[in-house]
Amino acid sequence: MDGADPMSQSKPPSHFTPRSLRALRAKAMRRPEDFAATFPVTTLEGLAAAKIKSGDPYALRRTKKNTPKVALQLEYDMETALYAALDSNELSRYAEALRRCWSLLGIAKGDRVGIFDYGTSPVSYLASSTFTPYLQRGAADILGCLPICNDGAANLSQRAVEIVKFVRPRVMFLRTDCLHPFTAEISRGSMPLSSYVDTLVAVENEGVLARAERDAYQAKLGVPIYRLMRADAAMFLAPECHRCGLFHLWSDLYHVEAPEPQTDRETGRQASRLVITNWFATSCPTIRYVSQISACLQPPGCPADARDLRISA
Amino acid sequence: MRKYASAVSHKEMDRWPEDRLKRYQLRALRRVLRYAYQELPFYREHFDKASFVPDKVKTLADFARVPIFTKKEALQALRQKKSFQAGLERLDAPGEGVLCMTSGTLGTSFLYLSKKWAAIRGDSLARAYRWAGLRRGMRMLMAAPAWHSLAVQETRVMRRIGATCVIPWGTFLPQYAPHFVDAILDVKPAFVSIFLPMLYALLAECRRREMNPAHAFKNVEAILVVGAPMTPRSRLALKKELGVADIFEGLGNPEGLTAMECPFHAGHHIFADCCYVEIVDPATGLLLPAGQRGNVVITSLIPHGSLYLRYDTEDLGVILPDKCKCRRSWPLMEVYDRRSNTLRVAGQEIVPYDVRLCLETLPELVNIPFALIRSETKMDSLGLLIQKPPTGNVKQLGTRINGLIREKFGLDCRADWAEELPQRWKGVTVIEEKDWRATHG
Repeated sequence: MDGADPMSQSKPPSHFTPRSLRALRAKAMRRPEDFAATFPVTTLEGLAAAKIKSGDPYALRRTKKNTPKVALQLEYDMETALYAALDSNELSRYAEALRRCWSLLGIAKGDRVGIFDYGTSPVSYLASSTFTPYLQRGAADILGCLPICNDGAANLSQRAVEIVKFVRPRVMFLRTDCLHPFTAEISRGSMPLSSYVDTLVAVENEGVLARAERDAYQAKLGVPIYRLMRADAAMFLAPECHRCGLFHLWSDLYHVEAPEPQTDRETGRQASRLVITNWFATSCPTIRYVSQISACLQPPGCPADARDLRISA
Repeated sequence: MRKYASAVSHKEMDRWPEDRLKRYQLRALRRVLRYAYQELPFYREHFDKASFVPDKVKTLADFARVPIFTKKEALQALRQKKSFQAGLERLDAPGEGVLCMTSGTLGTSFLYLSKKWAAIRGDSLARAYRWAGLRRGMRMLMAAPAWHSLAVQETRVMRRIGATCVIPWGTFLPQYAPHFVDAILDVKPAFVSIFLPMLYALLAECRRREMNPAHAFKNVEAILVVGAPMTPRSRLALKKELGVADIFEGLGNPEGLTAMECPFHAGHHIFADCCYVEIVDPATGLLLPAGQRGNVVITSLIPHGSLYLRYDTEDLGVILPDKCKCRRSWPLMEVYDRRSNTLRVAGQEIVPYDVRLCLETLPELVNIPFALIRSETKMDSLGLLIQKPPTGNVKQLGTRINGLIREKFGLDCRADWAEELPQRWKGVTVIEEKDWRATHG
């Protein structure tokens, strides 16, 4: 299986090995058009159908026979639950993705980081090895930060405000569906948020907070709000950059396509649903997963890191 | 894992003779006392204010003179300092710990859980999971990762034992019960660690799906529950309904208490490697002997992270006088409820747990939610709000309840029935009468 050209035929994800994935990645970088032509896309609906038909919680994507160290139920509202399987190496690479997000957002050694999201969100469980079994080093361990997670239920907004008041995190990550109740609590307490927190980061799975909405909250709360793109089915994370205003992504971790762009009638912008391939997911490979995120690719060249590929959304 | 090897890894420590255990605990207590006074401003101020000198503690009896403090004082320190660093913790190097929160009626406080703390506490807790049957290679359903201190310990437990885990999406609120049931059906964990109120929510979800709970749990060998006290009858009824081999209960709090059931289910063994428990008369502050109920006062023996030393949890509990048949030397204890949930009725102190023990002599009422109604004025009789059980005639049940309450407590009782306990009171064991009247006239 390893000797065969991974580009010569489309294999189901369960047939991939780490070595063949590396070879695939090399080929995809050299001949991306052939990669797209060779491999069919994976959709959420397809994963759900495969799971229902087979009874396999990993939708027949699992490459290994042994039990994964960590199986995570994903945040999708489908007719059946979907899962990701991760071993220690994958957890480490995924945590590295979060670490890069934190670094781009300006988080550094000694900072306190608040997280208003469920413990089952990668934004939470990748933050620290103390939070997740078999994660050797989370983003906070690598950078030397102190994280606190609030859980993600919107009615816990008052607790999130307590975190702001007493922990004063430099950066606070929060779910976009918690932005409104959080803002209401801040307003109720007449708190000058900028005295406590430098930055908020709005996070959503398979979506991005619209710019206009972000700007409105930003004006109301008086602190910069950046956005973090997530697509959990592909274990994908991409942060918005404060310098260039685009989302950065890393070619050693992901391959992202934006095929068949459509013009948005309201904004006039060209955008496609991002198609994501994950290069570190070896237990449940994700090859050409069609996300719900509408965006378009931009060339590298940000002053923060000129090597990073970028997405505008 | 080697980097944070547990300071105490004695496998047989739970079978040490009592005198050896006491010597160990005295050494550990003196060590945390010294550490607290030297390193932690809260305790320096607290001891100096009480003119207490830690070095004078030479015996366990001396330790009983260490000034006690409550959540109210911890919160005062937090508010005075306007920081999570209330003086009960020394932060390790950046990246060497996390913060967690605990919330209650008085407010929210913060705990610093260092990696050293997590390693010691987690290695200790692993013993309880082994008692409950968790083994290398087993798959465990883990609830509430990241934000709850139990999950921080379970992270270590799983690595120590070599178990794998499945984590359902969401959190332990009833609306996420479908996710938990899906995870149990799909990934088939053999071991489930869960909060008791959430387990009831899972049962309700099984009924909603018209699914036999035993079918949903058919791959589950054992369940470890925490978060609310189970009566012996509740445990047996749950075990039967779920079809699992056993259900173990744990008591604990992030401030330092760990007490877990062994397979004999005769009470909860205090984990004497990590905590020291006293039962104190809240009126006098004096120690109460085994068998007498009082406030549970705990001291963590781990000199890392947030340190709670002679902390009055304001929970009502008891150290049991009898030894366990397992012959482990770690004493047994029970915790019944929050002290604030005690009602004074006709001169007696009534705790919801005792009422439940009484109600559950009626098979129809096992695991049926209920609450006590508390009046602001003097109470001469007991008021109950009970969710209608699926079987049984409520009028006849009401008569039998009156008889049982009179026999057990010598009190009259009025039972009101509800189709379902109102959402805002689900899981609440005491409802204030004025709130009840405001809603129901």
